Parts: sequence; C-alpha cells; structure tokens
Amino acid sequence: MSSAAAQQDGSPALAVDGLDAGYGGVIALDGVSISARPAAITAVLGANGAGKTTLLRAISGMIKPRRGRVLLGGADLTGRSPEQIVRAGIAHVPEGQGVIPELTVEENLRVGMMSWPGALSRASAHRNSRAERAAALDEAYERFQPLADRRRKLAATLSGGERQMLVIARALLARPRVLLLDEPSLGLAPRIMAQVMDLVVRLSREHGLTIVLVEQNARSALAIADHGVVLNLGRVVASSDAQTLAADVALRHHYLGF
Amino acid sequence: MPVVEFLQFTLSGIVFGMIYAAIALSLVLIWRGTRVLNYAQGGMAMFTTYIAIEVIYHTGSYWAGFVVALAAGVVLGAVCQLTVIRPTMNKPPLNAVIVTIGLLILLEGLAGIFFGGQYRSFPAAFSITGLKVGTTPLGVSRFDVFVVAAVLVTTLALAAAFKYTSVGLRMRAAAFNATIARLSGIRVARMFTVGWALAGLLGALAGVLVSPSTFLYPNSMDAIFVFGFTAAVIGGLDSPAGAVVGGLLLGIALSYVAGYGGSKGSDLTSLVALGILVVVLMIRPDGLFSATKVRRV
Repeated sequence: MSSAAAQQDGSPALAVDGLDAGYGGVIALDGVSISARPAAITAVLGANGAGKTTLLRAISGMIKPRRGRVLLGGADLTGRSPEQIVRAGIAHVPEGQGVIPELTVEENLRVGMMSWPGALSRASAHRNSRAERAAALDEAYERFQPLADRRRKLAATLSGGERQMLVIARALLARPRVLLLDEPSLGLAPRIMAQVMDLVVRLSREHGLTIVLVEQNARSALAIADHGVVLNLGRVVASSDAQTLAADVALRHHYLGF
Repeated sequence: MPVVEFLQFTLSGIVFGMIYAAIALSLVLIWRGTRVLNYAQGGMAMFTTYIAIEVIYHTGSYWAGFVVALAAGVVLGAVCQLTVIRPTMNKPPLNAVIVTIGLLILLEGLAGIFFGGQYRSFPAAFSITGLKVGTTPLGVSRFDVFVVAAVLVTTLALAAAFKYTSVGLRMRAAAFNATIARLSGIRVARMFTVGWALAGLLGALAGVLVSPSTFLYPNSMDAIFVFGFTAAVIGGLDSPAGAVVGGLLLGIALSYVAGYGGSKGSDLTSLVALGILVVVLMIRPDGLFSATKVRRV
C-alpha cells in the first residue's frame, strides 16, 4: 500500500543521501547517493572493494555511517541499530553463510519473525500472533516447497540453492518493504542461480517488494534490474536504467568486466 | 567386596560429576554466545553461596538461602555482564579474559572483607548419612540424590527452554550467528546478558550443592572451577550435552582416583584433572562432542 502510494508521486522507497562510511582509517563509501524506486530492482554493481557490501551494511545499521542519511519512505533511519531498522521495514540478506546451520530449517524461518511486535505482550495478543506466525510459516512453505519437506532437518544439510532459498524466505518473514540482497548468486551452479534470479524478479513484480541487489555478476544482475548503480572505490560512477548501463560498452569494460 | 567398592566409587563420582557438569554448563552458556571464558564463574558461585549461608543463618531456613542464592546468581551474572563484560565486546579477546580474572580476584577479596576468611561449614538440605541396600552401604546419601536431581532438573529445564521457547531460539540464534540474529531483529546484547544470568544461576546451584562437602571460604570454588572447566573442555566448550557428559566422566574418573589411589588418592585428584585437561587439549582441542565441525560445513 505504502509503496504503491509512493510510486504515484515518484518518490523513492529507499534513498541514501551523501553517505560516508569506513572501517578505521579506510574510507569505503565516499558521498554515495542512491535511490531505489518502489517495487523495482536496483542493482548495485562494481568490482571487489568498490563498497557494495559496505553500502548495504550502512543501510541496515551494521555499521554507522560517518555522514549522510538513510531514508525509508521519507523516515530518517540514519544511525539506528539493525534491530530497529529491520522493524522499520528493511531486511538485509548478507553475503554467504546466511543460514544458521546449527538450527533446523523451521527454526531458521522462525528467526525471521523475531522482529514482529508483541511477542511478550498480553496473552490474547500473544495467541493471535501465534496463529499469525503459524500462518506466515505455512505461506513460506507453500512458496518454497523444498523447505517444507525438510523443516525438521538441520539447515546444515541443505544444498547451496536450498540455503539461498531459506535465507530469502527468512528475510521475507520479517515482512519488509525493502529487501537488500548481497550476492545471492554467489557459489551457486548456473541453473540454481537462474532460479534465484527468477525468484528475485517475482518478488519485485508480483509482490511489489523494493529490491536492492548487490552483484559481482553484473551481466545477470542487469538482465533483471530496472535500474543500476555502479560503484568504484566508494563513489558512484554511473547511475542509470539497466538497459542503458548494459549498452554502455566503455562502462561495462571499465567497471563491470563483461 | 570389590564390586560394592566399585559401585560406591561410581555413584559418588556421578554425584560430584553432576556438580562439575553444572559449572561446565555455565561456562558453555557464556562461551557459546560471547566466546568469553568466564574465569570468575567459581568466584561468583562462592559469593552467592556466602549470601546463602547468611540468609540461612538469619532466617533459619535452608530453602530461603537456597532460593536467594539462585536469585543472587542470576542478578550477579547479569550485572557482571552489563558492567564489566559488555565494554570488552568487539575488543581483543584477551581483554575479556583479563577482566574475568580481575572479577575473580575482586569477588574473592570482597568475600574476605564481608564474610571473613575462615572455613565455614555449609548445611546440606537432607541427611548426609549414607544410604544402604540391606546392610550394604551405597556410598551416597539422601543429599547426594538431591544433588543429582537438582542439577538434572535444572539442566533439563534449561534444555527445554532453549529448544521450545522463543527466548531460547533467540539465544541460540544470537550465539550461533550474531550478525544474522541482529539483522532479524533479535536484541543480541540482551540475549548475552540473559546467558550470563543463566550461567550465574547454574554456578550458584553448584556452589550450594558442593559446599557441604568442601567447606566455604573465599577460594573454596577454585578447585571446583578447574574441574568444571576440564569437564567443559572434555565435552567441547560449544556443546551443552558435552558439558554434562564431560562432567560425569570427570567426576567418575576422579572418584576412582580418590578411591583406588590409596592414602594419597584424594590429593591426586586435582593433578589428574589437570593432566586430563592437558591431554584433551593436546589430542582433541575441540572436545569429544564439539559442534564446531558442523559450523565449518
């Protein structure tokens, strides 16, 4: 609802404005501004060390930006903790190791609902939220059938593709408006990777989710993205619609490696 | 009769093993979440046992002292984590080690100031005269049965809470992967405080259970801590089940050493425990039941 309203007046679902961030003496982001349109896929591209992962970490509160702002539908989230930011509606799927292998598939999914309000509130509210949680789990299993068959198994037993599925399913259970995906195709076989990319497309087209997709594999990311941002050494060097970026031979050659 | 002797040593080993298991579990709870080895665990248990003895002295009720000790353990664990441990997080691991050693020295010093340094006897909840089957003594008392039951019930309750409650899942998620937990909205720092509180509870339990047989003085838990630590290492510092098994194995082994070691047997137990610790660290540093293999997948 809110994203549809935002779409009408053309304002971004997520805006990052002049963000500086770094680790110790290293500057990882230098005045980065991006805006992600509602219900669209925004690809963030660039070489290793360009600052892509740092950008996502700064948005989700895992690191504190030194300057600049993070705005979600106009609300300023700058400097909030990750726990608060996921409650505000931004889910971050970090790169690699996204499942907790020591927990079962179902426990991993239940972790995704920990940001829901009212877990410790009055008994009646608690009962309602119990039923709601069960329904949300069922919905996740319906969408991701392979997980349903393995709900009692440890996540350690899942294949790479199933793990990625589990991680995305868990992020969706937080009911985000914006989904940050860091290299979801990393280490996956080409066929599985295509499935993950398909899923990302469906999440934005069919479910109206705003997606920020960080990818090393620029070619496949641009193939599904609406918009692309290219980072180099912590700065934005290009920002345009995906087709334009994909058609720019010099840019591709310089920064995207294809 | 050698068979009866063997049975007696085994049973009394199980009793002490359960106490070591409680200390080992408290160390595992903290280690799993925060990768901190709490050298002050024994000191904390000693301190809460002093609180128990004061409450028992003033109220005349063992159970009042017992309950207050456990509550004090929860509070002491949480307060220690919030005040001195939290500032060491995201710092080099050695910082936390030094802080917990400092905490141990502080608690032992304070105990000496507040409660005095002399040996004090601590009451048992039930009779400590040995049980018999017919005319054969079993080598364990009613109180020993209570010791085993108390640790068993506490351990099973904790295991169930970890497995079946939302807070339990939050704590496990925070311990296994703090980043994912935070990104999922879990207040990880708070979970670590809860972990220290539960560890404090287990330590306090071990303190009141062991003190009838060791006397109470500011250093009285030092040896018990070493045994608990050894048990935790045998089981793998990551594994709660391993901590319990490690505690039992160590308790039984030390009981045989004390029982069959002749006149010097009981003096040898600390030495043997340290020997086992060194051997386990050399041969299987991850412990016999460590979960780290799973993590490396």
